[in-house]
Amino acid sequence: MAKYILKRLFQIILTLWIYLTIVFLLLYLQPGDITSFFINNRTPPEVREQIKAQFGLNKPIWEQYTNVMTNFVTLNLGVSFKEYPRPVWDIVTERMPRTALLFVTAAIISFCFGFILGRLIGWRRGAALEYVSTVSGVFLWTVFTPWFALLMIWLFAFNFQWFPLKGFIDQNLWPGVQQVADVSCDLTGGTNCANFVFNHILLTALVVTLILGAAFIISRFFAEQRTRWLINGSALAITVIGVFNYWSNSIGDVKVGGIFATRPLSMMDLAGDILYHMILPIITLTLISFAGTMLLTRNTMLESLREDYIMAARAKGLPDKAVRDRHAARNALLPVATYFVIGLALSVDGSIFIEKIFTWKGMGWTLLSSATDQDYPVIIGALVFTGIFALFAHLAADVLYALLDPRIRYD
Amino acid sequence: MQVTTKTLPPSLWRVRMHLWLKGMGQSWSTFRESPIGVTGLVIIVFFGLLGAFYPIYPWFMGKIAWDQETIQKEGIDLNIVYNPIFGVGNDPLLIKGFPQPPSLRHPLGTNADGPDVLAQIMYSASREFLLGMMAALITVIIGTFIGAVAAYYGGWIDTLFMRLADVFVLFPPIAFLVVVSALVQRAGIEMTHMLLALILGLLFGFGSITIVLKSQALTIKVKPYIEAARVAGGSSFHIIFAHIIPNILPLSFLYMMFNVTTAIFSEAALSFFGLLPSINMSWGLMLFRAHTQGWILGHQGAFYWWVWMPPGLAVTLLCSAFYLVGRGLDEIVNPRLRKR
Amino acid sequence: MALLEVKDLSMHYWTRKGEVKAVDEVGFSLEKGESLGLVGESGCGKTSMALTLLKLLPENAKILKGHIFFYKEFQPQTANALLGEMVNLVPQKANGRASTLGRLTRIEGEKLLVQPARNGATKAPSPVSFSFSEIAQVGLDLVPLREERMQRVRWKGISMIFQAAMNSWNPVYRVGDQILEAMQTHLPKTSVQQSKKRIAELFQMVGLDPRMMERYPHEYSGGMKQRAVIAMALSCDPELIIADEPTTALDVIVQDKILREMRQIQKQLHMSMIYISHDIAVIAEVSEKIGVMYGGKLVELADTQTIFERPAHPYTKALMSSFPNLKGEKKKLEALPGEPPDLISPPTGCRFHPRCPYATEVCKEKDPVLEVRQPGQVAACWNPLH
Ligand SMILES: Nc1ncnc2c1ncn2[C@@H]1O[C@H](COP(=O)(O)OP(=O)(O)OP(=O)(O)O)[C@@H](O)[C@H]1O
Ligand code: SF4
Ligand SMILES: [Mg+2]
Repeated sequence: MAKYILKRLFQIILTLWIYLTIVFLLLYLQPGDITSFFINNRTPPEVREQIKAQFGLNKPIWEQYTNVMTNFVTLNLGVSFKEYPRPVWDIVTERMPRTALLFVTAAIISFCFGFILGRLIGWRRGAALEYVSTVSGVFLWTVFTPWFALLMIWLFAFNFQWFPLKGFIDQNLWPGVQQVADVSCDLTGGTNCANFVFNHILLTALVVTLILGAAFIISRFFAEQRTRWLINGSALAITVIGVFNYWSNSIGDVKVGGIFATRPLSMMDLAGDILYHMILPIITLTLISFAGTMLLTRNTMLESLREDYIMAARAKGLPDKAVRDRHAARNALLPVATYFVIGLALSVDGSIFIEKIFTWKGMGWTLLSSATDQDYPVIIGALVFTGIFALFAHLAADVLYALLDPRIRYD
Repeated sequence: MQVTTKTLPPSLWRVRMHLWLKGMGQSWSTFRESPIGVTGLVIIVFFGLLGAFYPIYPWFMGKIAWDQETIQKEGIDLNIVYNPIFGVGNDPLLIKGFPQPPSLRHPLGTNADGPDVLAQIMYSASREFLLGMMAALITVIIGTFIGAVAAYYGGWIDTLFMRLADVFVLFPPIAFLVVVSALVQRAGIEMTHMLLALILGLLFGFGSITIVLKSQALTIKVKPYIEAARVAGGSSFHIIFAHIIPNILPLSFLYMMFNVTTAIFSEAALSFFGLLPSINMSWGLMLFRAHTQGWILGHQGAFYWWVWMPPGLAVTLLCSAFYLVGRGLDEIVNPRLRKR
Repeated sequence: MALLEVKDLSMHYWTRKGEVKAVDEVGFSLEKGESLGLVGESGCGKTSMALTLLKLLPENAKILKGHIFFYKEFQPQTANALLGEMVNLVPQKANGRASTLGRLTRIEGEKLLVQPARNGATKAPSPVSFSFSEIAQVGLDLVPLREERMQRVRWKGISMIFQAAMNSWNPVYRVGDQILEAMQTHLPKTSVQQSKKRIAELFQMVGLDPRMMERYPHEYSGGMKQRAVIAMALSCDPELIIADEPTTALDVIVQDKILREMRQIQKQLHMSMIYISHDIAVIAEVSEKIGVMYGGKLVELADTQTIFERPAHPYTKALMSSFPNLKGEKKKLEALPGEPPDLISPPTGCRFHPRCPYATEVCKEKDPVLEVRQPGQVAACWNPLH
């Protein structure tokens, strides 16, 4: 296994190298003066010199190439034009988690939905059910994402007003916040504070997932159903109490003041506001992406149901549910799980639509706005990060496959 | 004895043609049994007709309804004719300032600037078709060729193309296209439908399709008749083109359907982001305008559905349709999904 | 004492091209501890027959008519479980009453009430009552049995070794766990430890290292998988094992060894067995009775000895001609002239007539029925060989 991972890592480095070369070629083989990519009239003169030196823009192309590649490797991505002099690294690390939280949540929910539904459809092959599920599945899967998102906003945020129309935080609430724990907010809208709260949400989600996941794996070592429930249940109870306690006591206080202050706020109010803004994007994303999992699961189910071991399982007199879940679905899961991880790798794509429409300032939003603003350092940074992220997702997919399928031995 | 398989006698070609036609007939009758595929086909035909009948629509409406909108300005020798696609310039008499709901004159209403929504939809339909088909064709030609060559030769050619495919699979395509169209715009190149089709075709042609088609070609490469053809002195070129490629074509065709979906979707997305200034009318652009001019979420309470439902639905339906046909074909090509 | 009785059983597949008459009016019975061999050309419906017995049919298959009685000695305390099912009640020999087929409608004290099937009569026949002491055996009819009930018959009552036994293993679970799964389903009272001990014993019995239990199927060789399948088939102590060409994928030496072991186990555990093969020599080695199938029909059924010495049906003789004697050298099968019948539109009359050297006019028109040729031998032929 270790050897395999090493080999894969080598492959990844190779692939990443090709990828970065293509990114380099894309940007550098453009007609016109290369320097104009990194320097525009908004850039102050001393910074021009600095950028020129950093990227070696006066040198011959191969030297530039090695230069840029070392910059990529050392993640020295320069500074943004638009938000000058903010480093690209800073922008990307601010935006990446936002996309990640939104998309990982939606992906997990849609995976569960899609898998369960696909399993059912694959199992019961009624003509009508098959037709309806496939056509509606394909419709959701190929629906023009921005249009669908607008539709969702129009319906639930605009018409029913159940959710905020857009954005990451409530613009009426946050300007009143002066300090969160030991972070003092900027005057405009509390972006610092929002980031601080958001990072804590992310951290919490991560810890909760780890604890529940560990509990689930541990419970698998026990054969008895009761013990399993006990372990999982207690893990859930502990995390719920722990999270509640942490958020109400341990992070710090919120200081409210100034003319914008509307009411006293707690840490949980702020977190709640961010989560509230996440609901509609997550629902939209889930609706769009669960269908893909469903359709794929149906196909893999159909394929695994044709296998001889399904007949054997039925012959053993197992109840239908056991045949379906333990045998057919377990094998149908293999390609679906891979698809899940690779889908995550491509989530930047989906995030362009969703983040644009919901004005959720994550990676997709950043990529799109930097493309329209011709903010090249940010474009490059976003592409590089997307590539690295996707590569590791592919590696994760391989490892996951190996964990799920005992036939695969990577050595 | 030297057997030349390169030039088949004409009668053999006739036999092949006959077999091919027969195969097509069989595929068609299988396809007809798939309600999913037929649904897709019906939608495609519907949009095909919409596109094909576009020229008739403004001509006919011009005869019966729109002629009153032809304005002869007094004093100035200028004919301002109502243009159902691009509106009427700045003519204050025709621009009502907000979208007109559907009426007899405008079955799907008008945009805020005055153009007819149905006309725009019809006008764009044929362009979307062309773009989707072109892009998918390029993708499939590249994918089939690379798949066959990589499977036939193996070795470093295989490794090269498969690694390349890995890289292309890595690219989130929309993100990539966003960047590319920004670059094309900056370079001052006009992004026409053709250029976009070429870019889309290349982007997807080197990607996952080569992996799929290669593995299919591999199963054909080991068939005995390939060996026979080789022993009989068939050149590599001949074997690839006469034996391997014809056998992976059904699968290529299947992937072509999926790629039409992707291409149409991508164009709509780029138009929606306002990144394709050279394409002056498309469904994505209609939606873009409706959104940026605030006819969707602005204008408190009003539901200008005719401005944003038709283009969104059109993109969705046409994409779904090709995808459905693809799945219908899948049931023919992929026996594991076939019902007995 | 009979264990299984198949009566007039027909099962067809529905396909694009038409109805495949894969099992057509087949009937036979099997005693406890007896081993029956089913032999016939490829595609004659042997596997279909076996799958019908377990009702493991694909969606496009349907049992058209017939009965499959799975007999048990009558025990008053288990009578309740049979309530509402179609049963064949067999009275004690001395009693003199005829056996009765019908739905078990009620249990009154020491009595069973059976509602006999209508059988075309307009008026429903009146219920028949049996007292507990009168009944010797109850045969549960598997054909109308609900799926949930059928699941209890599978593996515990009838287990099966599939033709593609190698592929019977789910690749993602350990072999031992897959056997354990069957045991826990049918023997819920047995603890995991006990079951594992039993599996280890079975592994030893079929010649596998018990430690292999913890391995995955892909770590097994073909022969090992086959042996493990046999162990799995034995795991719930079934009363009947159907072995569908369990050794075809193996080389001759291993094949022989496994056959002998299976035969030994079967005798030792006093199980019944239906052994399916297209190789009559293999069948002869392991079974007391042989049934010959042709084109979805059972054409001859007789003791092994009788079949070899005096086959009655021309098809049996043709099969036999390739094997000069029981122990003799196997020579290449003398191909019968002609094709096996198309089961979608089989030949009229006797299905064998296009290939039969003894065929006469009547064979083309009328379908022969199974008739007793001599004690222990039945055959369906208008011009039997004796
Ligand atoms: N699922 C199915 N659907 C339709 N027809 C089937 C199906 N399974 C089997 N058949 C047909 O039923 C007939 C009997 O098949 P079966 O598998 O029972 O033969 P067999 O005697 O076991 O042959 P073999 O010795 O090759 O295993 C064949 O003509 C076969 O084509
Ligand atoms: S019935 Fe006629 S055709 Fe059939 S086996 Fe007997 S002799 Fe031959
Ligand atoms: Mg068989």
